[in-house]
Amino acid sequence: MLIRKFAAGAFLAAATLAFSAAAGAKELTVGLASEPTSIDPHYHNLTPNNSLARHIFNPLIRMDANQGLVPGLATSWTAVDDLTWEFKLREGVTWHDGSPFTADDVVFTFERAPNVPNSPSSFGIYIKGKTVEKIDDHTVHIKTEVPTPLMPNDISTFSIVSKKHGEGAGTEDYNSGAAAIGTGAYRFVEWVPGDRVVLERNEDFWGEQPEWSRITIKPIQSDPARLAALLAGDVDFIEGVPTTDIATLERNEDITLSQGISNRVIYLHLDHFRDDSPFVKANGGGDIVNPLRDVRVRQAISKAINRDAIVARVMEGVAIPAGQLLPEGFFGVSPNLEPMAYDPEGAKALLAEAGVPDGFELTIHGPNDRYINDAMIAEAIAQMLTRVGIRTTVETMPRSVYFRRASRGGPDGLPEFSFILVGWGAGTGEASSPLKSLIHTYDADRGYGASNRGRYSNPEADALIEEALATIDDAKRQDLLAEATEVAINDGAIIPLHYQVNTWAGRKGISYNARTDEYTLFTEVFSVE
Amino acid sequence: MTSVTDPTAAQPQKVPDPALLDAGAEERAAQQTPFRRFCRDFFASPVASVAFVVLCCILFIAVFAPWVSPTDPYDLAVVDVMDNRLPPGSTSFDGSVTYWLGTDGAGRDVLSAIFYGLRTSLFVGVASGLIALLIGSSVGLVSAYYGGRVDSLIMRIVDIQLSFPAILVALILLAALGQGVEKIIVALVVVQWAYYARTVRGTALVERRKEYVEAATCLALPSRRILFRHLLPNCLPPLIVVGTVQTASAIALEATLSFLGLGLPITEPSLGLLIANGFQYMMSLQYWISVFPGIALLITIVSINLVGDQLRDVLNPRLQQ
Repeated sequence: MLIRKFAAGAFLAAATLAFSAAAGAKELTVGLASEPTSIDPHYHNLTPNNSLARHIFNPLIRMDANQGLVPGLATSWTAVDDLTWEFKLREGVTWHDGSPFTADDVVFTFERAPNVPNSPSSFGIYIKGKTVEKIDDHTVHIKTEVPTPLMPNDISTFSIVSKKHGEGAGTEDYNSGAAAIGTGAYRFVEWVPGDRVVLERNEDFWGEQPEWSRITIKPIQSDPARLAALLAGDVDFIEGVPTTDIATLERNEDITLSQGISNRVIYLHLDHFRDDSPFVKANGGGDIVNPLRDVRVRQAISKAINRDAIVARVMEGVAIPAGQLLPEGFFGVSPNLEPMAYDPEGAKALLAEAGVPDGFELTIHGPNDRYINDAMIAEAIAQMLTRVGIRTTVETMPRSVYFRRASRGGPDGLPEFSFILVGWGAGTGEASSPLKSLIHTYDADRGYGASNRGRYSNPEADALIEEALATIDDAKRQDLLAEATEVAINDGAIIPLHYQVNTWAGRKGISYNARTDEYTLFTEVFSVE
Repeated sequence: MTSVTDPTAAQPQKVPDPALLDAGAEERAAQQTPFRRFCRDFFASPVASVAFVVLCCILFIAVFAPWVSPTDPYDLAVVDVMDNRLPPGSTSFDGSVTYWLGTDGAGRDVLSAIFYGLRTSLFVGVASGLIALLIGSSVGLVSAYYGGRVDSLIMRIVDIQLSFPAILVALILLAALGQGVEKIIVALVVVQWAYYARTVRGTALVERRKEYVEAATCLALPSRRILFRHLLPNCLPPLIVVGTVQTASAIALEATLSFLGLGLPITEPSLGLLIANGFQYMMSLQYWISVFPGIALLITIVSINLVGDQLRDVLNPRLQQ
């Protein structure tokens, strides 16, 4: 429902434009909050990289604005049996150099993508355990050892590259453009790191022709500077509009805003696994047995947080209070979970019941350049917890430092912090993604709990998640995912705060079909003359 | 000015002051203590007098911030996000406090935050200035007194240090050291000591050729004594001037570092961090979060500089009519 409400305006605009969009020479200059770390689509599984790769390359299956699956380089996909999926490939598609796209390219991609040297975050998690087999030039079979209901979601995450250009090509060959030959709507022209990425429309694109003939992408990291560039006319379109400026921009007739809810939940992760937690202290600084391991304390923290106040005052109303891992409308969410109501008295009562009536001392760690208003949210939470007796100090740091320390900064490569502010975007567009990575017991070998920085472990939730991931039947899987979510949230595995709502802004008449995956795709930017 | 007990130690006043050579001056000088003369000269300029009074007020506020602030901006149990970004003159959510200069993004009273911020900024500026002065003047004295290779070595180090922009050196240091008040002070000391060393060396080179030093050397006094009892007191006037200017620039540098996010924790902002936090609201015309701390910083630095300028004029005989 919420998604529909937010995206409705953008959809209307898109619908009217489908008729008026002319294929003339129109250029678009955009200001993005961060630049990709590479043009190689398999180098780094990171939003700016994936977002850019979607223009030059295509995956077999694409995701629409609400992360629904739509045909990409594959026209259809079906499960032949529990362990085999058949993909029919699109015919008549050519690479940017004119050579035809065939099943050989798919087979090559499955070899290359998980094995890119020095990849900071590999696509291997989506590809390992899957073997691809060419049936004919336009049919492939993908086999797995266990039933994989999420096969289409996994396949939608990575781009198909050309065997002809990709064989033997390293990441630097993609960055220079030599190997950056895709099937996408745009051809790669140049990348000047720190300054610009330039794309040119592929006139032979197999899908619908986009409106803009040439795109210049400028990385402008500072929020006020990016907005100033738009207001000054240096760029036509920007992402990541600061929430504080939305009200002013709504009154500005020269600017068009586009908004959409995201699949990203902002939440608190707590130390579930150490009795002596480094950033939890008794009042006065002495040692204390980690009270965060007590579910009553976790619930007290959740009750002490006024989510409506954070949304109204810190986020300027541009966010949605969260009660679980994904917003309403996504596959696998529970209909029974509401955001925890603000109840400071109830929180104090629970703390007293748990044996810490006078509270304790806690440090919240968070990034200061990753999520919308992240440092301010951490500060607001510290205020709210301090008021129920948990004296909280705030430490924020740039993401480059933060995530490394939060994941493995402590002794023995364990998570360093006790209480952290983080976010999780469900890349697959359904609830198994956060459940598998945040809730399931940490198990590096099997790829579970990869971002479980609180090392939460609950056999009941684990069993439900594993069962869901092996259940082909959609209705049954939906129920299992919802049940796992309920078990985890009621046990205080994580404390959800809110779902992000993203805002894009363009010059008058330039609107965006807002996406839940936070990508900025120029094929979805339209203008009204 | 200095309590020098050594009978051979030269007093700065022994050098005939050209200002006192005009008619009747000697007679007046006989009635006045050096301190009174200094005060008369200093307050001769109305601008400097005003600056001095303003600086005293700022120091008072900084020292007594916990008592003069309307609220405690560092107490998270008091600061309420429901009160954030209120314009100047608003009353709080529950009607108990009036925010004369508005509130910032976390609901902190800007006026109180400025008072506490001044405290941090001045503490950092003065502490780093004093430590740098101590280190710099010792090194400078040693350099001037021994001369030769020692002098060359020390002065080349100073040259190298001064050839790097101060902000760059401080940024690199803070990136390596991490955040915190004491780390900022360390970074500022490293950046500043060279200025003091160079100033003291210059003055001491002139002084050490004078007769009183020769006399002291002839008495076979130990080097340490000549350095600190004879040379140092006579190098003080330029040191005081450089000290005030450097303190002002240390405060500005600390504000810059905080603005860049390398300073202090966000729950205990200094002036630079307040300005940085308010910067993101400038486009939506919520000017007060940045502008008022900016004005406070400006007044502080200008008044310190004006006082420093006047000190230079008063302490430098050549500039007196």
